[in-house]
Amino acid sequence: MNKIPSDMDIAWCPGCGNYSILETFDKAIEQTGIDRKKLALVSGIGQAAKFPHYTKANVFNGLHGRALPAATGLKIANHELSVVITSGDGDMYGEGGNHFLHAIRRNIGVKVFVHDNQVYGLTKGQASPTSDLGFVTKVQTHGVVSVPVNPLAVAIVEDASFVARSFAGDKEHLLAMMVAALENQGGFTLLDILQPCISFNRTNTLKWYKDRVKKIDESHDPYNREAAIAMSLKWGDEIPIGIIYRSRRESFEAKTSMLAKGTLVSQYKGAAV
Amino acid sequence: MPERILMTGNEAMAEGAIRAGCRYYYGYPITPQNEVPEYMSRRMPEIGGTFIQSESELAAINMVLGSAATGKRAMTSSSSPGVSLKMEGISYIAGQQLPAVIANVQRGGPGLGDIGASQADYFQATKGGGHGDYRLIVLAPASVQEMADLATLAFDLADRYRNPVMILADAQIGQMMEPLVWKDYTPPADLPAKDWALTGAKGRAKNIIRSFFLYPGLLEKHNIALQEKYRLIREREVRFEETNVEDADLVIIAYGSPARVAKGLVKRGLDNAKIGLMRPITLYPFPDKRIRELALAGKDFLVVELSAGQMVEDVRLAVEGASKVGFYGRLGGAMVTIDEMAQKAKDMLKSRRASK
Ligand SMILES: Cc1ncc(C[n+]2csc(CCOP(=O)(O)OP(=O)(O)O)c2C)c(N)n1
Ligand SMILES: [Mg+2]
Repeated sequence: MNKIPSDMDIAWCPGCGNYSILETFDKAIEQTGIDRKKLALVSGIGQAAKFPHYTKANVFNGLHGRALPAATGLKIANHELSVVITSGDGDMYGEGGNHFLHAIRRNIGVKVFVHDNQVYGLTKGQASPTSDLGFVTKVQTHGVVSVPVNPLAVAIVEDASFVARSFAGDKEHLLAMMVAALENQGGFTLLDILQPCISFNRTNTLKWYKDRVKKIDESHDPYNREAAIAMSLKWGDEIPIGIIYRSRRESFEAKTSMLAKGTLVSQYKGAAV
Repeated sequence: MPERILMTGNEAMAEGAIRAGCRYYYGYPITPQNEVPEYMSRRMPEIGGTFIQSESELAAINMVLGSAATGKRAMTSSSSPGVSLKMEGISYIAGQQLPAVIANVQRGGPGLGDIGASQADYFQATKGGGHGDYRLIVLAPASVQEMADLATLAFDLADRYRNPVMILADAQIGQMMEPLVWKDYTPPADLPAKDWALTGAKGRAKNIIRSFFLYPGLLEKHNIALQEKYRLIREREVRFEETNVEDADLVIIAYGSPARVAKGLVKRGLDNAKIGLMRPITLYPFPDKRIRELALAGKDFLVVELSAGQMVEDVRLAVEGASKVGFYGRLGGAMVTIDEMAQKAKDMLKSRRASK
């Protein structure tokens, strides 16, 4: 019998870095023991943003660029949920860039997993905010002329709770980073995942990343902000992966007295109108 | 014979804009209009123009606003979800009376929808969309040739009325390829001088571009002036095309890609029934006077749209009960078919005979 195609069927290119991110995510959920009934996956639009459809969780798939405000609303209403955003570099740092700045200031306790392939995948290969200078596409025919966004440095400057980078081509490292990110209780959690896009990014290939990524030395103290900034600025021949920064700043939920009495959804049970 | 060139609708629109002197294009990727920024990014550097892929649609429309304020021909394009984001800027451009061109290559909605052809943004384009009492001039191309021709016309109309013009296309017209012929373009000699533009106030009083009028009474005056302008536009700029209308009992009214299907039906014929097609080319100003005339001449109408029924409301307003108005629409990115249209037309003609 022919299967009827559905939105839940994976629609990523064979060989896409997203597959190992998906596989590793499922392992990380298993390892952390997070109850999938209390897991909410929030996304905007893009190849990365299709992710929530392909695993088991509560799903909110909203507007391009707006995953963060939607996730913020969700987390405030029910802060006992693990709220994880799966987003692309275009979705989170371009269209959603303003929300990125302000959600970090708030230190809302959501986990942001960015599948950073340095390109707009879904719309077929335009430069993204993280594309390197000189990156040539069918739109940036003379190469990208704007300096790339450095999301890690931005997050550290704004004192995010947890800032890390990993690589889809190293599942073991990715698993460790996902587990650490999921277990972080402090507030805004950013995990930028370098993800080869085999169709539209022929520059930053699996090999390109493999030749450059380097695990951060254990001597690095993530609570040292200056050292973290310096680490976040490294890019090129050597790209550090690992936990770059942690802060001890209170999360939005911890600061909000209303939430001390329990989740808003439980406080208002029965009062639904 | 003039050379016929094969192009997609999106590329034809981009080249039409460039030939009209547009040198400033700002856009953000979205399907099914990505061919417009792709084309602009290639062509603009060749002709001394500027292309920017902005960080969002909001940035793009405000870049257009800025370039337009200097009196230059500027444009942005997007598809439905991205056009919704531009609405804030469009309201300001209308309030500030700036000439600018915005293209919407519509896809299915609401929300993210899909990437199929749709006309569900008709209300948004013709009735406002953004806040305040403003109107866009709305042009509806139905062929690749018209994508080019109306892109050029859009800039002339924008300059003539200092008003934003929207090209309301759909995924089908944007994506398909057809031959077209380039016509020589010179801007109309009677376009008003842009003495309002921000060009540096050396030797003259300063120009101020704004939509902000706090002093009591000023904003109403400004609005009355806008309404007077819209009245002039309604009087002078109505455009439509008719096929076999004079002697028809039933006139199909459709624009954009459904109008092509309807034309197919009118040409094929429907047994011995007398059917015709009226295709609005301007959706604002709407050809309501002509539709009223046809209604008073005893013709019934079948409105065909890729929506749940939006333009049909304007047809009913024009007809004011003088004859019958039927509707056939497909939703969410689906295309109308000639057979379904024929069936609707037959049903209407049958009830017409029964009531006579
Ligand atoms: C308002 C709006 N603008 C534009 C788009 C088109 N669009 C969909 S996804 C996307 C960017 C995709 O790039 P990224 O976020 O890096 O995700 P990837 O596909 O690379 O995983 C764009 C521009 C849209 N859906 N909505
Ligand atoms: Mg991407």
